Amino acid sequence: MNRRLFVLATITLAVSGLSAPSHAADELRVMVHSSFSLPKPLLAQFEAQNGIKLVLIKGGDAGEMLNKLILTRAQPVADVVYGIDNTLQAKALAAGVLEPSLPQAAGTVDAQLGDALAAVDHGFVNLNYDRAAVAKSGTPLPKTLQDLTLPAYKGWLVVPNPATSSPGYAFLLATIAGLGEEKAFAWWAQMRSNGLKVVKGWSEAYYTEFSRNKGSYPLVVSYATSPAAEVFYAKDQPAESPTASLNLAGGVFRQVEGVGLIKGTAQKAAALKWVDFLRSAPVQEALQTSMWMYPAVAKTPLAPVMRHGAAPAAFESLPPQVIADKGASWVARWTQVVLK
Amino acid sequence: MTPSWLVRLARPRGVWLALLPAAALLLLLLAPVARLAWEGFAGPLSSTDGLSLWQPWQDDYLRWRVIWSLAQAVITCVLALGLGLPLAWVLARFEFAGRALVLRLLMLPFVVPSLVAALGVLALWGPRGVLSGALGIHLQDGPWLLLYGNLFFNLCLVVRAGVDALAKVNARQVAAARSLGATPWRAFWRVEWPAIAPWLLSSLCLVFLYCFAGFGLALVLGGQRYATVEVEIYTLVAYELQLGQASVLALWTLGLTGGVALAYAALEKRLAAPLRLLPIPRVRPQGAPQWLALVLALALLFGICALPILAIFIKAISALWTGATGLFDAETLAALWNTLRFSALALLMATLLGVLHALAAQASVAWRAAAFLPFVVSPVTVAFGLLLLYPSWTASLPLLLAAYAVLAYPFVAKSLSAGLDSLPVHLGQAARTLGASPWRCFWRVTLPLLRPSLRRGMAFAAATALGEFAVTLFLSRPEWATLTTLIYQRLGRPGQANLDAAMVQACVLMTLALLVFLLIEWPVSERGAPRLPRRVSGQTSHPSITQHA
Repeated sequence: MNRRLFVLATITLAVSGLSAPSHAADELRVMVHSSFSLPKPLLAQFEAQNGIKLVLIKGGDAGEMLNKLILTRAQPVADVVYGIDNTLQAKALAAGVLEPSLPQAAGTVDAQLGDALAAVDHGFVNLNYDRAAVAKSGTPLPKTLQDLTLPAYKGWLVVPNPATSSPGYAFLLATIAGLGEEKAFAWWAQMRSNGLKVVKGWSEAYYTEFSRNKGSYPLVVSYATSPAAEVFYAKDQPAESPTASLNLAGGVFRQVEGVGLIKGTAQKAAALKWVDFLRSAPVQEALQTSMWMYPAVAKTPLAPVMRHGAAPAAFESLPPQVIADKGASWVARWTQVVLK
Repeated sequence: MTPSWLVRLARPRGVWLALLPAAALLLLLLAPVARLAWEGFAGPLSSTDGLSLWQPWQDDYLRWRVIWSLAQAVITCVLALGLGLPLAWVLARFEFAGRALVLRLLMLPFVVPSLVAALGVLALWGPRGVLSGALGIHLQDGPWLLLYGNLFFNLCLVVRAGVDALAKVNARQVAAARSLGATPWRAFWRVEWPAIAPWLLSSLCLVFLYCFAGFGLALVLGGQRYATVEVEIYTLVAYELQLGQASVLALWTLGLTGGVALAYAALEKRLAAPLRLLPIPRVRPQGAPQWLALVLALALLFGICALPILAIFIKAISALWTGATGLFDAETLAALWNTLRFSALALLMATLLGVLHALAAQASVAWRAAAFLPFVVSPVTVAFGLLLLYPSWTASLPLLLAAYAVLAYPFVAKSLSAGLDSLPVHLGQAARTLGASPWRCFWRVTLPLLRPSLRRGMAFAAATALGEFAVTLFLSRPEWATLTTLIYQRLGRPGQANLDAAMVQACVLMTLALLVFLLIEWPVSERGAPRLPRRVSGQTSHPSITQHA
């Protein structure tokens, strides 16, 4: 009896398993990185206004997401992609995964993303420190990256691995742009012997190792907006954020994230609507407190909580082509120097 | 020894029987690996500057990866043997209340999906673990978590093999040795040990393979320093698109695991013999030392094999208590539905492939070893090879399910092969002399005799399909998210709420895997040895018939 039931159930399940989902004509497949997040009502409104059914595909970390797109070029898994930034832009173009031209709208912070991508937001990867832990240690804050190699700062810093994390990669690029390649790797080698901690991704660094979250490292690679996020999510609205940005020369990198059409998409019109939607005023305002980035459309008002996460005055950047040419070898060299 | 009529049945048709599994292996395993290697060396994405076949041995970092992968597999083998042998001896020689239940539950850790097992180990020993918190031990960033996870998974394999082998030791030989004045200790080393060593060795081969080619555990527990080659291959492909380096590494691991798999297949073939039993009777423990040994053994088994499972339940319940989501939200239900239907389909395909493969494998050791290809080729490698080889089939359900089936079917093939090996010859011959055709003989005599081994193989295959992780990670589409991918996504998002949800979902997945396993496996007798079907022997108490009549 039992056995017959089991066999029956198995076969029923198997038959239903064959009913593969078919592609609806009004379906727009949007590839996004794992940090993508927008208020649900906004997305529902977009669907209702345009008669489009959104399918959001989370492709992992931005770098991983782009690799997925490159590996599936022959039969793209999405129509439009959000989350390719200036560190990945040249690689995406070279691999030919994007439609080469997008009508660029004016009013962007900077049109650094070339013709294939429209800028949606930008942010700054920098160092964050835990105010309480630093005060308790009695040690003054470091003034330069070089200070961090001193014995006083042994075991202070935790970084995400540049090979597996976008902010980790951006921070590595910042050190190279700020100090020069040779000096940068010498600095990393010194950091290694000064108790530098490396973890896989930003969330492990911030939520497990950072002293603010029960870890033991008072310094972490994060974003300039993170202190604002700390205030935003705190249960009691504090007057001052428990963390703060530490903007050192060679330790701040600007990231510009954009949206682009995937080559060969059959949903061009709908995809362009999505591009406009991401650059529309409601989204530009909402993304500040949902994704914790600054809006790319210049006239957008800043959210009040952003006063706790002011944009750094000075930052590093590198030409996209240089990043594309040398990025992989820098990461390989970093792995040799720091992890080996 | 395979019955001669069965060999005759298999041989002319052997080629035909092997056709489907061979095609599956070729198209879904070997071709993708070859394609990946080609991509690495000659494809448009390759970076051949400084790429050589010896790279893993010249580069310090990669060399450490390979050596550590080997080391953790070997260390696990040594630990599993050291702990598993006494455990097996106690379970095989002592009679105590609940012994049958312990043996029943013994294989459960093995069917826990690797990602869930990793979470269980974290729930125990992780940064906010149940035990590490209580004892104040900090095991993060060391090799210990991974080794403990390996043991949790594989100890039961060695214990199981040990118990089965000890039950086959000839009582007369031990009795003779004892009456000639050998101490129990000496009798064990001189009589029992030589008899069981090959069985233990064969189980250790498996343990080595699982540890060396393991992915889910190492991904979550290995950290930056103690991750294995598999994780490195995944990182190289998914994050760095270094297909050349990845394929060189994959080829090396393939060579290493292939050698071990061949040794294992040869061992299995040599061990295969029809059952001829005069087992040593089990005794109730007498005196304090024996009771102490029994209690210690059970405590050890509990500490290694049951605690991580319990830790997941505890964490999940406490998470639900504090209002965690993830039990019955739409996302989980959809993933649960996908997991169920994909696994059911994969199980059907895997059973078909496994039966055909086992029948064809009766004649050749090489073909028997071929059943191990899916264990040997890492799922990560397979998944990426498939991506490259069939770009237009990427994210298509048939490809995903075919990959599932190919990865799960060795369990069916292996279990059936073992069943066929120990098939009593005379029953088939009797049926043949009474005029049954080979096919009729197969349907009416062989298949009923093989039922227990088929069930066992299917149970493992089902559990494998349920917990499949690596392939799903690459070939799946978002609307086909299974529970494993959901858990992994949750782990990648920050915050306690996501960790809680991951624990709850892991609990759901684990319960599912255990249920399916028990449902299929439960009626099988303790030894899994074929018994005489009622029609032939007139035996009345056949559990698998009486229970389901």
